[in-house]
Amino acid sequence: MAAFQILRRDLLRYLRNPGRTALLFAIPLMMAAIFAVVFGGHGDGDGITIRVLLWDEDDSLLGRLLQGAGDRPESEGRLEVVPVGPEGVEMMNRGDASALVHLPKGFTRAVIDGTPTAIEVVKNPAQRFLPLVVEEGVVLGATVLSAGSRALRPELDVISSFLDADHRPEDAAVASLSASFNRRAKQFDLYLFPPVVRLEAVDVGAAKGEEASAKKPQGIAAVLSVFLPGFAILGVLFLAQSATRDMLHDRETGVVRQLLTAPVTPASYLVGKCLSVLVVSAAGLGLLVAAGVAAGVAWGPPLAVAAVVVAAAVAASGTLLLVMSVVGSERQGDALATIVIMSWCMLGGAFVPLAQMPAFLHPIARTTLVYWATSAFSSLIAGGGIADILPNLAVLAGGGALGIAIGAAVMGRRLARGAL
Amino acid sequence: MITVERLRRSFGDLVAVDDVSFEVRDGEILGLLGPNGAGKTTTLCMISGVLKPDSGRVLVDGRDIWLEPTVVKRHLGVVPQEVAVYEDLTARDNLSFWGSLYGLSGSELKERVDEGLSRVGLADRAGDRVKSFSGGMKRRLNLCMGLLHRPRFLLLDEPTVGIDPQARLNILEVIRGVAAGGTTVLYTTHYMEEAQELCDRIAIIDHGRILTVGTLDELTRLAGEAEVLRLTGGFAGGEARDRLQAIAGVRVLQAGDGSAMLSVAAGGPGLLAVLPAVLASGLALDDVSIQRPNLQSVFISLTGRELRD
Repeated sequence: MAAFQILRRDLLRYLRNPGRTALLFAIPLMMAAIFAVVFGGHGDGDGITIRVLLWDEDDSLLGRLLQGAGDRPESEGRLEVVPVGPEGVEMMNRGDASALVHLPKGFTRAVIDGTPTAIEVVKNPAQRFLPLVVEEGVVLGATVLSAGSRALRPELDVISSFLDADHRPEDAAVASLSASFNRRAKQFDLYLFPPVVRLEAVDVGAAKGEEASAKKPQGIAAVLSVFLPGFAILGVLFLAQSATRDMLHDRETGVVRQLLTAPVTPASYLVGKCLSVLVVSAAGLGLLVAAGVAAGVAWGPPLAVAAVVVAAAVAASGTLLLVMSVVGSERQGDALATIVIMSWCMLGGAFVPLAQMPAFLHPIARTTLVYWATSAFSSLIAGGGIADILPNLAVLAGGGALGIAIGAAVMGRRLARGAL
Repeated sequence: MITVERLRRSFGDLVAVDDVSFEVRDGEILGLLGPNGAGKTTTLCMISGVLKPDSGRVLVDGRDIWLEPTVVKRHLGVVPQEVAVYEDLTARDNLSFWGSLYGLSGSELKERVDEGLSRVGLADRAGDRVKSFSGGMKRRLNLCMGLLHRPRFLLLDEPTVGIDPQARLNILEVIRGVAAGGTTVLYTTHYMEEAQELCDRIAIIDHGRILTVGTLDELTRLAGEAEVLRLTGGFAGGEARDRLQAIAGVRVLQAGDGSAMLSVAAGGPGLLAVLPAVLASGLALDDVSIQRPNLQSVFISLTGRELRD
């Protein structure tokens, strides 16, 4: 009974301090939002858009192809090709685009004649990834043009002679060229079709059914879907830190000593505080998830998400309880908890997806509860169900319960010894 | 009745409480008087069931607090030295929580809270957060928490330390009222005046040991002094001790540079006979005052030093 009174009082303290409580919840939300805006383009809901300035002095076929690529429906919101003249350089200086692609005068003729030429790509130094995407795309295009220029050399020479002639080509010559192209195409068919290696680009979880892909978030929500799980875990760890630190505060201010003069056993005090940490952590994580829903994040099946919320709250509570049980003061507890939280979040993939971390860190990541929580959320967001995250739930709940048990035992031993 | 039997508690090599025994009789206020570090708080923590003794036991109405803690603690009210309240909660929140731990709820809890707040003069601040309270107000709130469940036994650990005179008077008045209502009180303090004013009996503790227990009269008689002379002047401690010890019928209680105390034993030559000898001792005296024997002189006679040393 006393345990529930302690829980009630702790929750009342959160209500009596709305500013502090709001700040605890706001920090992870703000961090996730900042990440989403920084990596999600202009923050206007359009998602990541690569804006390319095309300065085509040659009015070339490649230029028209590039411009056409930007006009295709599947490029909408992702690639914007803007035709420009020399003013494009000034626009780049202002940072108006990710890159400027400059096709010089005579570019097409050089490709037909097989004489060396170049495509100039001016990159925006303020952006890190998007100019690289443009550069890679242009390199690919240049490679294809160079190979085509060499492979079709006889035919291109004929075209070159047509262009140099001061009269229209004879019908027979055009027919011969057409037939030659046709033969080449058949030869290429032997090499190109059917392709031995085929590319299959599949979104994670797409195989789970069309429903998942139909609900796939777009724009900022898509970016939040990547970052929010990690930051939500960061947030719940900080909430658990705040709640468990309270136990040290109680000890240092004499509250524990006074509580134990009442009909409150050390066990009921510890149970009350553990309940308090659990409830605060679960409620906090639940609110962060709800905030994600409001921002358009599709977390996945509600029951499975609720299970992760509870398991992650248990894990966070256990972790921080264990940390606080080994320190001597509130200040030491804060320092150690911050080190544990930040290192776990970095190693566990809360800030950077595991796939982008060095391979040798992957086994280390799996030793952190952050990894199991973040990957559980990510799996559900990608369309997975509760069956896919059962191992995660087991590790989180089991690890957390172990942490709570050990932490409470250590603290209980101290209370029993009178180390208050 | 609270019976303390041979309590002992050490922290590492330091023996904080050593073989302490005494009784607090029903309805009395027993003062536990001693300087800082004497073992008062440690003793109180063991009596209140917070700190387990290395040996010995505490019986409250015949029940061992360490064997039946929850039963015994229902009848104990404890006011610790440190103000252990939640500063981010209101006074009413703190009291309501505390009352709920003793099974109070609903209208009864509200009545007790209102009554308690009025008793300590905080009724108009009931809805304010404790962080806005002065030190004295916090201490009064702390006292109120200890009284909320109307305990039969009240243990107070230096409840007036560091507060203004008005708050101190209020606290002492409340304690007197509680004791008048039949509550048994154990009151620890290092303020001699408080012990003299408030307590029916006084136990003097120093270096973890009880030196003596009794009423003020009993203690002064036990010390064997009738009257005390306090001397101040420009003399050295050693010189004062040598010269004063040579006077018949006096006992040097304390002799330091510039001040000395000596007692004139009852049944001896008497003050009028001793005083000329003191004045003729050759010491450079600025002032000689006569004081009735009090706890200070008792403490000095028992320990050889002043209470606040």
